[in-house]
Amino acid sequence: MVYRRHCSCTNPYSSATCDCHATPRFHSICMVSDFFYPNVGGVESHIYQLSQCLIERGHKVIIVTHAYGDRKGIRYLTNGLKVYYLPLKVMYNQSTATTLLHSLPLLRFIFVRERVSVIHSHSSFSAMAHDALFHAKTMGLHTVFTDHSLFGFADVSSVLTNKLLTVSLCDTNHIICVSYTSKENTVLRAALNPEIVSVIPNAIDPTDFTPDPKIRDRSRITVVVVSRLVYRKGIDLLGGIIPEMCQRYPNLHFIIGGEGPKRIILEEVRERYQLHDRVRLLGALEHQQVRNVLVQGDIFLNTSLTEAFCMAIVEGASCGLQVVSTRVGGIPEVLPENFIILCKPSVKSLCSGLEQAINRLLAGELLSPETIHRTVSTFYTWRDVAERTEKVCVYNRVAQEVVLPMDQRLERLVRHCGVVTGCIFALFAIVSFLLLNFLRWMTPDSSIDIAVNATGPNGAWLRQYSTERKHELTRKRDPDACKEPSDLSAEH
Amino acid sequence: MSPVLQSPVLQSPGADHYSSLSWGAGNPPSGSVGSPPIWKKVLYEHQPFPDNYVDDRFLEELRKNIYVRRYHYWAVVFEAGVVIQQLCSVCVFSVIWWYMDQDLLSPQKLCGVGLALTLLGYLLFDAVDQGEGRRDSGRTHWADLKSALVFVAFTYGFSPVLKTLTESISTDTIYAMSVLMLLGHLVFFDYGANAAVVSSTLSINMAIFASVCLASRLPRSLHAFAMVTFAIQIFALWPSLQRKLRANTPWTYISVTFFFAIFAMAGLLSISSVGALLFFLLLLSVAFLCPYCLIRLQLFKDNIHGPWDEAEIKEDLSRFLD
Repeated sequence: MVYRRHCSCTNPYSSATCDCHATPRFHSICMVSDFFYPNVGGVESHIYQLSQCLIERGHKVIIVTHAYGDRKGIRYLTNGLKVYYLPLKVMYNQSTATTLLHSLPLLRFIFVRERVSVIHSHSSFSAMAHDALFHAKTMGLHTVFTDHSLFGFADVSSVLTNKLLTVSLCDTNHIICVSYTSKENTVLRAALNPEIVSVIPNAIDPTDFTPDPKIRDRSRITVVVVSRLVYRKGIDLLGGIIPEMCQRYPNLHFIIGGEGPKRIILEEVRERYQLHDRVRLLGALEHQQVRNVLVQGDIFLNTSLTEAFCMAIVEGASCGLQVVSTRVGGIPEVLPENFIILCKPSVKSLCSGLEQAINRLLAGELLSPETIHRTVSTFYTWRDVAERTEKVCVYNRVAQEVVLPMDQRLERLVRHCGVVTGCIFALFAIVSFLLLNFLRWMTPDSSIDIAVNATGPNGAWLRQYSTERKHELTRKRDPDACKEPSDLSAEH
Repeated sequence: MSPVLQSPVLQSPGADHYSSLSWGAGNPPSGSVGSPPIWKKVLYEHQPFPDNYVDDRFLEELRKNIYVRRYHYWAVVFEAGVVIQQLCSVCVFSVIWWYMDQDLLSPQKLCGVGLALTLLGYLLFDAVDQGEGRRDSGRTHWADLKSALVFVAFTYGFSPVLKTLTESISTDTIYAMSVLMLLGHLVFFDYGANAAVVSSTLSINMAIFASVCLASRLPRSLHAFAMVTFAIQIFALWPSLQRKLRANTPWTYISVTFFFAIFAMAGLLSISSVGALLFFLLLLSVAFLCPYCLIRLQLFKDNIHGPWDEAEIKEDLSRFLD
């Protein structure tokens, strides 16, 4: 079998390292996270776009997530990206419940069937991601983790989650963070060696976010806000900014896209100050609608209280808007100073930031939307992210590393995570190891079918396809593809 | 090289770790002509450094213990007075109940003394702050008298019911329940801490519940009436007087606390000498040992702050909706 050629080197069951790892070319990667389409958010699009770009680079990628309503089983997305929707119980906020053991049989079958060599987990809020890391280490697979969020250190809940993160990451091969601030945060939270943490930012598809200055209404100034309406996005601040700014500028209009529990505050403000004609609440937006909302504005406002990377401001800037944002988390790293006005997270500071932007706009000092778009579109692209993830450090480097054997793993757990926690999780590791051996005895690896790669042997179907329609493909790499998932064939 | 080295971060509470980092990881590529490139903490530029490069400026924005409060020993001891007072209240209440249960104290006497002390406290309550609190709240003496009368009348009327209320429940259950409720009262009492468990409503309700339970085991309904009235006096009225004393005349408050503690201990001593000794040790440790521990443990505080912290909204935003 053709695809066995590079599978044989990724088979980790024979030994921890094999010689063909010295020059790894293609990897078989399994992305695991609780968060994936049809759920929408930063993590979801990150996984999707990264996977697409990795497939384009010739790797085999599968995605494992939990079932969303009636969306369960296996689905194929664009370019034969295979998604497993596993029947695991959702506990809270779309995160599955975890016992560190119950998902082992299911995940082992997938890892073996797909001949996975690298497990790439996403988001520290996802229990499934941590479970998969745990099982992968038991099975002797290489592990990579991407952290998408920031966490404090002050309260009880963060003390507990940080401890769990320490346990989960102490023997993970490599960690990716989306900004330098996020890296500092993760290194401190999980007590890691900063060398094994790489910073690879998120990206956007600049072709999805193109400016269109004709749509703008010249007679008024429009401020656009696109965000979930929750406390962490600073919607309370927005509720203070709107009346303040509307009083100062009679031709100022707000367009607010997004849905959430804090919507009521904005509605009350609109009611209280009689701003129905000047503040438009659009409700939840589909991904492809976002651009059409953004291009209507002159200024993009972001009031987040915490943010690891903030794709929203990049999207805003890519549509040619002047960005005004709070200076929190990784935001100061994202855009150069002439594209963004940074403010303190207070109504007063944000109002003066907006005022500064409006004055520049009225004086015609703002850069043209086209200029902003052209510059910003070179900053963050998914191809670059995929290339860095694959080449510069992570997969190639990880593939050369040794997965800790059981005895060293136990020692690491006890030494690194404190005696009590370490011992508890070392016990879990032993139990999961025994369970794995039991499963291997029940159904040996050799009796598990090898799944056919949906991109063809060695990605051959894909290459043929892409030479024919290469141009079109690169342009149409968009997440709506998942809205019409072509269920080629279910394997079961 | 093993993938994860023993991290130098968070190994010991020493403060220098974060500022002087020398991991020497991923050195910047040499061989560039001229001055070596300087790393910038930005994501939009492609910098000539590996993705896992660790610069000297790593963690430079880390701050430690920025909100630490400095405690003074005697100030903490003074604050501990509230806890002492509440422990003594519970002790006095239990002692009085025991005397009533043994018929060593007549309900008439308890009511009489209680009434006298309540009147005295009522006068003090206004005298301590020259009636300022009363002017602020706008509550009249007439209103106070009315609610006191209503309360006494209702308690008196219902005391026969209280007496028979828990007849079907075993005495052991009653005792266990009372202990639990009084402990709950101590846990949820508002000692002035700004914490989620504090609930003065829950605290007072638990105390009254305990008093009703215990009163139902007394010989006659007049006893039950005296007991519940006394519970109101000691758990509801007495703490509010204390609060005023504490705010206005700290020295009076200290001496009142001291004599109240002596009184509680003497009462307990007349019942059980071992109990009194243990209670004495408890008060001693709460008053002097715990504040000492609190101050000593401050040295081990290791609170990390940095740009990743969620920003706090400090201003009052409700003004926009008024």
